[in-house]
Amino acid sequence: MTMKSILSKLKETNAKYSMFHAMTGDDDPGDSKFLFSAKDNLTSCDMETCSGSRILIGYRPAFDATSIARMRSAGGKLIGKCNMDEFGFGTFSSNSGLEIPRNPYDLERACGGSSGGSACAAAVFEDHVSLGVSTGGSICCPASFCGVYGIAPTYGRVSRYGLIDYGNSLDKIGVISAKAGDLRKYIHVISGKDEKDPTSCAQPELKDEGRKLKSVAIPKEGVEGLSKDVEKAFEESVEALKGMGVDVERVEMPSLKYAMPAYYVLATSEASTNLARYVGMRYGQQKGDLSLKFDDYFSSFRSEYFGSEAKRRILLGTYTRMAGFRDRYYAKALKVRQVVIKDYKRVLADHDAVLAPTMPFTAPRFDDISRMSALDAYKADYLTIPANIAGTPHMSVPCGYDGNGMPIGMQFVADHWNEEVLFDIAERWEKGFEMRRPEVVG
Amino acid sequence: MDRETVERVARAAHIKLTEAELEEYSKDLNDILSYFELLDEAPDCEGFGVNPIEVADVLREDEPRMELDPDVLLKDMDTYERYVRGPRLS
Repeated sequence: MTMKSILSKLKETNAKYSMFHAMTGDDDPGDSKFLFSAKDNLTSCDMETCSGSRILIGYRPAFDATSIARMRSAGGKLIGKCNMDEFGFGTFSSNSGLEIPRNPYDLERACGGSSGGSACAAAVFEDHVSLGVSTGGSICCPASFCGVYGIAPTYGRVSRYGLIDYGNSLDKIGVISAKAGDLRKYIHVISGKDEKDPTSCAQPELKDEGRKLKSVAIPKEGVEGLSKDVEKAFEESVEALKGMGVDVERVEMPSLKYAMPAYYVLATSEASTNLARYVGMRYGQQKGDLSLKFDDYFSSFRSEYFGSEAKRRILLGTYTRMAGFRDRYYAKALKVRQVVIKDYKRVLADHDAVLAPTMPFTAPRFDDISRMSALDAYKADYLTIPANIAGTPHMSVPCGYDGNGMPIGMQFVADHWNEEVLFDIAERWEKGFEMRRPEVVG
Repeated sequence: MDRETVERVARAAHIKLTEAELEEYSKDLNDILSYFELLDEAPDCEGFGVNPIEVADVLREDEPRMELDPDVLLKDMDTYERYVRGPRLS
């Protein structure tokens, strides 16, 4: 009954929140066991896929991403493709060439990014699971801002086949839901080896042996620069975790401060090569002036249809890969990634997870976002980037609300391939945490 | 990064910038690159890979096969006699 009811209210709900760029027109769930949505950078053969970009308008993929295909095989019905920052380039889902999702707790505020539409859908619809994609924090950030659970598994755990690449060495497909139990359930559905993505074939089996999270380490660097509301909610949550029997130790992780510049070098370097394929041929926008010469034809499309942030990141990534700069930026960033991984391994040898707030502040208003410089917006990701550059599984769980009633999240980071302890703590935390849902459509 | 460098990088990336964009990106990229100087003081390490996890040789057998019908792939492409249309080379 809930599925039919949700399908009948899809259009009016989307008119309010703009979570979907494309939606199913079918209001009959048929034999479906559950409804799901997916970030619009995952290809779907029945819905347009634009990755938040005007340059891909009109692109109707001939195949499903493996993650979407596996959700369908498990009985899922895809109801919508979720709005996002263009190609994943942003923290608030406001860098979109299409529609910008609105926070279900306050429509004047952002959902977070770049999987903002996914987190919005998970918060608004009853019994809903959404697939998100994280490159530098794009699952945990919006999960935190929209008051839901979100997990980005280990890099390589979920096949990236059918994912429109942002940064190949960073992209991870994960799950967002208002129910903690959905993280375990649906990571099991979408994970596993897929010969179409060789990185997925390197993974060990996803364990589910009842391993508990018993201890966490809180890095000094992870509790600096927080808003007062976030700091208060986080410290109260730490006390609650202690009450649940979790050991807590304060540690230092000096490498974390280098993760952010290293991330932006790697991410933009990879993005600038990935986006070279969008030239007004084969995908999306293709109606150009064929009398133009080769270079002019390509440049005319890219200049007209890429958004401002996409151009900024292409320029930055092209520069850091140029002869003369490669060693200073790209090669150094690859080394810093190893330093960050070693720092995590050192701490995780004695603890089950590293814990910090997910974001330093709650969902900002759109007018405040418009006044941020590019660098200010990049710096907002300093808590989510280290786990992403390290490829370690990480998860945001709701842990409080600020004075305006906006959700606050905390982020657990486990060692490579140890998603199991994250599932455990999310499910135990949910039993004691009083979640305040926004208006729910069911 | 001065305006000339931004122009050179934009040409390499096939992006034409307006005067206003040149101004904006020159400033933004300078701010960002100044921040990247933090990398100069980051500790070094022996060796590095391009992935955060070890990816062994997991390639499948190199056997030709066709999973998608070429006509389905071409359905939304601008084509002429099943060739993708593009600009002239010179």
